[in-house]
Amino acid sequence: MQETLTTATWFWLLVPMPLLVLLSLFSLLRHSLRRHG
Amino acid sequence: MTGSVEINFALLATLIVYLILMILVGLLAYRVTSNLSDYILGGRRLGAGTAALSAGASDMSGWLLLGLPGAVYAAGMNQLWIAVGLTIGAYLNWQFVAERLRRFTAAARDSITIPAYFENRFRDDTSALRVVSALVILVFFTFYTSAGLVAAGTLFEGTFGIDYELALAIGAAVILVYTLLGGFLAVSWTDFIQGILMFVALVLVPVITIMNLGGWTETSQMVAQINPGALDAFHDITLFGIISLMAWGLGYFGQPHVLARFMAIRSPGDIPLARFIGITWMVVALFGAMLTGFAGIAYFGESGLANPETVFILLIQALFNPWVAGCLIAAVLAAIMSTIDSQLLVSSSALSEDFYKRFFRPGASDTELVWIGRGTVLGIGVLATLLALNPDAAVLDLVSYAWAGFGAAFGPVIILSVFWRGMNRNGALAGIVTGALTVLIWERYEGGLFDMYEILPGFILATLAIFLFSRVGKGPTEDMKREFDEVQRAQREG
Repeated sequence: MQETLTTATWFWLLVPMPLLVLLSLFSLLRHSLRRHG
Repeated sequence: MTGSVEINFALLATLIVYLILMILVGLLAYRVTSNLSDYILGGRRLGAGTAALSAGASDMSGWLLLGLPGAVYAAGMNQLWIAVGLTIGAYLNWQFVAERLRRFTAAARDSITIPAYFENRFRDDTSALRVVSALVILVFFTFYTSAGLVAAGTLFEGTFGIDYELALAIGAAVILVYTLLGGFLAVSWTDFIQGILMFVALVLVPVITIMNLGGWTETSQMVAQINPGALDAFHDITLFGIISLMAWGLGYFGQPHVLARFMAIRSPGDIPLARFIGITWMVVALFGAMLTGFAGIAYFGESGLANPETVFILLIQALFNPWVAGCLIAAVLAAIMSTIDSQLLVSSSALSEDFYKRFFRPGASDTELVWIGRGTVLGIGVLATLLALNPDAAVLDLVSYAWAGFGAAFGPVIILSVFWRGMNRNGALAGIVTGALTVLIWERYEGGLFDMYEILPGFILATLAIFLFSRVGKGPTEDMKREFDEVQRAQREG
């Protein structure tokens, strides 16, 4: 019996949205390096 | 009996403190607002953090703490797709539109409203673009604002047993006082506080609920016994349904109350930081809302709740001491108010900047224009409150309708206006009219393709109309091309 979220659900929950946070963090770092680097 | 009176006193006291704080912020903003540009766009001096949280809190209405947890509680993790779609839309908006719109609105005769931007960007000497887009804003936002007020009134009636009309009157009065006094800065600064409150509540409530249930493993085992389908994002949903939910994310490019935050940021260089803060806030908030609904399945068991949308509030009342509960319920109110105030101010700008100043009193003094701005906030606020006094289900249905209307009518025009040099006034007008009409018609039919959320066909057809009609009539003038190239160059050089 399934006792936790299905594997596909874990994937779609934990990949797309946190990935967008990381992308925005990388573009912030790139921007500040270009400005102050 | 004394127990419940005491609890109610603690809840009410914290809420009253919160409402007074909002009015104080309004007074503070009143002191630094001297002309219509201050009143409508804060004189373009928002910092990255304020712009980010203000965009997030304006965008996320009471739906984030009522509707989304309720939907996950009732249907399970197949509601995940709307969160994924919304986050992708918000990210693309911050990444591809924000910086360009900030530069283009400043370059196009310092436009401080979306209708003014359309008129100036496309050198429309007929005023048709400005009048049509200002009317779209006035109609959709009056109803959208009214739906928010209904949510606020219902929340208080349900939580405190206060009379609906009284709750509505108090809520509307507080919003009107700080918005009317302090304009855009009051709205943005209160949004910042409201955004923080929402963030704290959306982290605290699911974490405490899951701990109370014995941890994550126990929580999901309990859900598995109650409703095993809730564990699967693909349960009881078709690909068509997933696309329809994710299509909500297309709405962002055309929401005037979100775009205003891009236009109001101090400098284009502040946008990378604002984007990171805004997306992080949103992802944590959406996770918190979904987890609350999920944990609610385990907490309230099979007996279920009469109204799933109360799951967040009932968990607060069950698990927290009354003073903390008061702050957390204030967060629900904050979510509702932070959306209403921003929409109210954009509607007011459509009357004060786009009609009064543009057509009747172009030479009016700053003082006159700011007071006209305040008058229009009052007028639209009172109208929305009167509409909310006799709510029927139709008002709440209007939210998805208004979201789609703005998304389809303005979204493609905004995106192409900052990317396509060859776009002209005819293309823009055709895009707005096609987007609005498609949403209007699509929503009226049912069955087959018509069950798709109307924003998707509206967005696609509006985009096609822009490409088609930009070929009609005069192409962009030399002046427009030069302006476009200058902004593009500044954008590339960063």
